[in-house]
Amino acid sequence: MSAGYNILEHTADLGIRAWGATREQAFEQAARGLIDVMGARARMPIVARTVKVEGTDAAAVLVDFLNELIVLHEIEEAGFGRVRVLRVSDSELEAEVEMAPLDGRAGGTTVKAATYHQLEVREGSGRVEADVYLDV
Amino acid sequence: MELERLEEYVWRIPVEAGMRVPGIVFASQELMDRAVQDRAIEQVANVATLPGIVGASYAMPDIHWGYGFPIGGVAATDADHGVISPGGVGFDIACGVRLLRSDLEWQKDVEPVIEKLVHVLGVHVPRGVGTKGRMRLSGTETERVLVEGVRFPLSRGVGFEEDAEHCEDRGTLAGARPEFVSEKAFQRGSSQLGSLGAGNHFVEVQVVEEIADVRAAGVMGMFVGQVCVMVHSGSRGLGHQVCTDHVKVMDRLMPSIGIEVPDRQLACVPLSHPAADEYLGAMYAAANFARANRHVLGDGAREAFQEVFGRSARDLGLSLVYDVAHNLAKVEDHVVEGKRRTVCVHRKGATRAFGPGHPEVPSAYRDIGQPVIIPGSMGTASYVLVGTNESAERSFSSTCHGAGRAMSRTKAKKVMSGPEVARKLEAEGITLAPAHWGLLSEEAPYAYKDVSEVVRVCEGAGLCRIVARLRPVGVVKG
Repeated sequence: MSAGYNILEHTADLGIRAWGATREQAFEQAARGLIDVMGARARMPIVARTVKVEGTDAAAVLVDFLNELIVLHEIEEAGFGRVRVLRVSDSELEAEVEMAPLDGRAGGTTVKAATYHQLEVREGSGRVEADVYLDV
Repeated sequence: MELERLEEYVWRIPVEAGMRVPGIVFASQELMDRAVQDRAIEQVANVATLPGIVGASYAMPDIHWGYGFPIGGVAATDADHGVISPGGVGFDIACGVRLLRSDLEWQKDVEPVIEKLVHVLGVHVPRGVGTKGRMRLSGTETERVLVEGVRFPLSRGVGFEEDAEHCEDRGTLAGARPEFVSEKAFQRGSSQLGSLGAGNHFVEVQVVEEIADVRAAGVMGMFVGQVCVMVHSGSRGLGHQVCTDHVKVMDRLMPSIGIEVPDRQLACVPLSHPAADEYLGAMYAAANFARANRHVLGDGAREAFQEVFGRSARDLGLSLVYDVAHNLAKVEDHVVEGKRRTVCVHRKGATRAFGPGHPEVPSAYRDIGQPVIIPGSMGTASYVLVGTNESAERSFSSTCHGAGRAMSRTKAKKVMSGPEVARKLEAEGITLAPAHWGLLSEEAPYAYKDVSEVVRVCEGAGLCRIVARLRPVGVVKG
């Protein structure tokens, strides 16, 4: 598959390995993984929000992006529809995130944060792959 | 990596490339076999590379693979030339345990009404993702909680005045700086005071099953057959955000300071750097939030007992034994290689365990040592321990914090489904408050190490003494 994610095993926590043809695709898949772990998928999104983050490198940008989604989920009690990563540089990311209120509680695992543990973004020959671990 | 066995329960990781001190792991052969199966031992060695670390990079018997620091890790860094690392505290700042005792006896008083009691507890204890806590706070009130800890709910008439005396730091950690707690953290926390959260957090009704130290148990007002209430929770979203914010700052600063770490989640700055002061102030604020959170949850438990037994919490003897954190960094004085030094002790999944006579121990417990509360995994035994003076020399006055995970969540879910785990616990005579069982198997007893083995090894290594074992009879899960 050209873009996707899978779960990496960890004794206490869990990781996401996300990939795609571009950084944008790979980071979208990482967001998809996070949203699935949190059980925070909304069926009927009602609003699209622009999310902008910055960091010292692409990997730090990814951590910040996922942490932004965790905060939106917790503070606004939001579920997510489509996440479109519009652009990612070595220092910035801009995404459009569809959101809706979650009815009742989320069905997934509570995620405290995305971490820098074994964080890696690998790029080469038309494929981008990112590993990120979550504290759950 | 070669491990040297120094004593029955003490293992050494010799200094290798990059390590500034050796690693010391407290474990039995069996627990060591488990520890080497995941990457925890490698993480103990990674922590040993932190600038200014003194003594050794320690690991408790419940050690397992964490993110950056191992869970069950203890690292002391020199106050003058050492670093502080938010990863050495973790995201759930000051997560910890609170134990309430009662005058009630299991068979006579509580067993006949346990189903009702657990149901009412479930109503009084907000839990799960995104739940609102028992106390709603304005921005100014949240700020007061961050500075005052348990004094804030006490000022609103929540809890008993004497509760504060039986908390670590008497319920208020000095030096909190709310100005270094971000707006996002405030937003995450302001609605969550007095809520359990999710994961392995719980409120349990427990029965004292065995007493190993009669004198200490007597001082704590504990007896065999007695019903107690244990609360396991932390600083909620506020603490998580404090860690997220400050790890990011330090990750950015490290290259300019010239610090390199083997794992980015070990991000740190020298304690003399302004960013260290900012993190310490914010982390202490989150710690005060965590204490106040457990205080308010304990009040919810008292209300549930009052409702079920039709008597006041005082009349039921529901007083606080102790409240102690197991994710925290603190500046403490310790003797290192024969010299008294001020160090920053990071305890990540480890509990402070001061011995008898230590001035930080509440006067009621001064002769027996600081109580340490060890929550078992869901459905298994919990323990009350006391600190020893020997632990001051062996582990910067630290002992274990719980059972420690042995199996990933993904694997745990494959062994049994959530409803199957619920049925099994109920068959063992444990009453569960209604909840969504979908994720229950992530926290199933089989996903954890044997807590009894963990505390036995800690006692055997001289880090603490066992006072009492409690078994759960009612569980309200986060």
